[in-house]
Amino acid sequence: MQLSLPEFHVRGDCMTAAWKRRLFIASFVWPTLILFLVFTVYPVLRGLHYSLFDWSGSAESMDYIGLRNFKDMASDPVIAKAIRNDYFLVFSKIFGIMLLAVFFAVALTRLKLRGSKFYRFAFFFPNVMSVVVIGVLWRFIYNPKLGILNGLLSETQGKPVETPWLGDSSYALLALLPPAIWAGVGFFMILLIAGIKGIPEPLYESAQIDGARQWKQFWHITVPLVWEQIKVSIVLIMLTSLNGSFAIVSVMTEGGPDNATQVLGYYLYQMGFKQYHMGYASAIGIVILVLSLVTTIMLQRIMKRDSVELS
Amino acid sequence: MRPFAVNRIPRWISGAVLVLWAFCVVYPVFWSIMGSLKDNQQFFNGKAWALPKFPLLWSNFSYTWETYHFGRYFVNSIVVTVGSMALALLLSATTGYVLARYTFKGSGLLYYFYISSLMIPAILTLVPMFFLFDTLHLTNSLTGLILLYAIGALPFGIFVIMGFFKSLPRELSESATMDGASHYGVFLRIMLPLAMPGLITVSIVNALSFWNEYPLALILMNDPGRYTLPVGLAVMQGEMQYRTEWGPLFAGLFISMVPILLLYAIFQSRINEGLVAGAVK
Repeated sequence: MQLSLPEFHVRGDCMTAAWKRRLFIASFVWPTLILFLVFTVYPVLRGLHYSLFDWSGSAESMDYIGLRNFKDMASDPVIAKAIRNDYFLVFSKIFGIMLLAVFFAVALTRLKLRGSKFYRFAFFFPNVMSVVVIGVLWRFIYNPKLGILNGLLSETQGKPVETPWLGDSSYALLALLPPAIWAGVGFFMILLIAGIKGIPEPLYESAQIDGARQWKQFWHITVPLVWEQIKVSIVLIMLTSLNGSFAIVSVMTEGGPDNATQVLGYYLYQMGFKQYHMGYASAIGIVILVLSLVTTIMLQRIMKRDSVELS
Repeated sequence: MRPFAVNRIPRWISGAVLVLWAFCVVYPVFWSIMGSLKDNQQFFNGKAWALPKFPLLWSNFSYTWETYHFGRYFVNSIVVTVGSMALALLLSATTGYVLARYTFKGSGLLYYFYISSLMIPAILTLVPMFFLFDTLHLTNSLTGLILLYAIGALPFGIFVIMGFFKSLPRELSESATMDGASHYGVFLRIMLPLAMPGLITVSIVNALSFWNEYPLALILMNDPGRYTLPVGLAVMQGEMQYRTEWGPLFAGLFISMVPILLLYAIFQSRINEGLVAGAVK
């Protein structure tokens, strides 16, 4: 009897302790989760739902049309063009950004050049600027009469050059690349630098003793060992391009001239908030989601094979 | 310096490319500052790279600040950035702590739920968010924007903060619990102060993205009195089709950049760390 009493006492205490723990966890989890459900999960589901309607945004006019928005998209030439442009931007950015980022990362770590601290500071700087700031800045660089680009070209060619870079459909899409690459390189360079710094120095030293040149060291040590970072970078460039090209297009070209720089993100905005086809706009959103998922999976497949080959 | 077997010429070329790129990055910023001190005359008649003539036109700044309401936008941006920074910290530190230090029914699921939501493109929610805000009467409300930004930053915040809480030694909280501290007491008095570096890193990275956010602010804030700087700057640029005031436009550009420049100059290494931690999952 006397022994079981304290035991009982302890068990009672445990019960309240368990409740205290449970309450504590609940109070830390639920407020965040509820807000997250309302402002992230619900809108996504609502977006799926809206995509099945013909809807101008006002309450009365919501017509259920099943998958017709998606069928319409298949025959909408602007959608085809936007997807082409999106992927042109994605692959050009991957190529341009990775080339520079890998080069800078290696140069600033392995080549032991002077001033690497300064370069790291400067190169990352465009990454912290707003897309709007970048867009306004580059629009002015491209300005036909007042911009730096044409100013330089006029100077070197000895005659006034007034090419409207953003207003000519044969240049406009290409002209979106330099700002995107300019603004993107720094972040991926930092990511790769972190990766390279994690490679044990003895690996390089023994390669050195074996007489491997920088170039060989790069391909046989650096690339395989930062492959994880390279993969992440490529997927991130793709995702941010598909999901984020809206902002830069909106500030620099508004999809023009004549849809030459149209991308899915901007077309969604234009359909929804300028022409009030909310259902169609939502359907474009779904397409962006599906494309980013499919492209992520595909890129990861492709790069997985390479990683096995290299290591 | 170790004697690496690097040829002289590739080294020189590498150095030259670095200098060239540094110029490409720094010059446009310098150029926009120069532009903000010019009048239209100098834009139209001078070379694009000409330095501004004396007297420097500092009045462009006050002109943009007042006539283009950048003062208003600046205050809005500060309110939204600081507000959502605080809220994001509260929401992600609590959830991040519980996920890092407690195992409970559904904790693993909850973690994957937050992390996988990073895959959802924000642009997908543009239309539904517009109507959700309309229903909740949050359109043109800075509070609404604060809420939205804070929640958007959750997956990143939870992920990074979790890492910090996980790295703290378990004995610390155990001994405190022995001494009779409550769960809240352990969190507030022991764990939170120790995780401070992580919380600061997350907050700074968040602050940058809140200050710069454009698409959501564009569709949700229609009243010019509620514009944030990116929206205000984009609208101002749009107006340049009708009246050309390049000096003031550059001044606006610079005003939008200054706080970010300062933040970056002070916290560069933290920002780098935070972004790297957030990217490699």
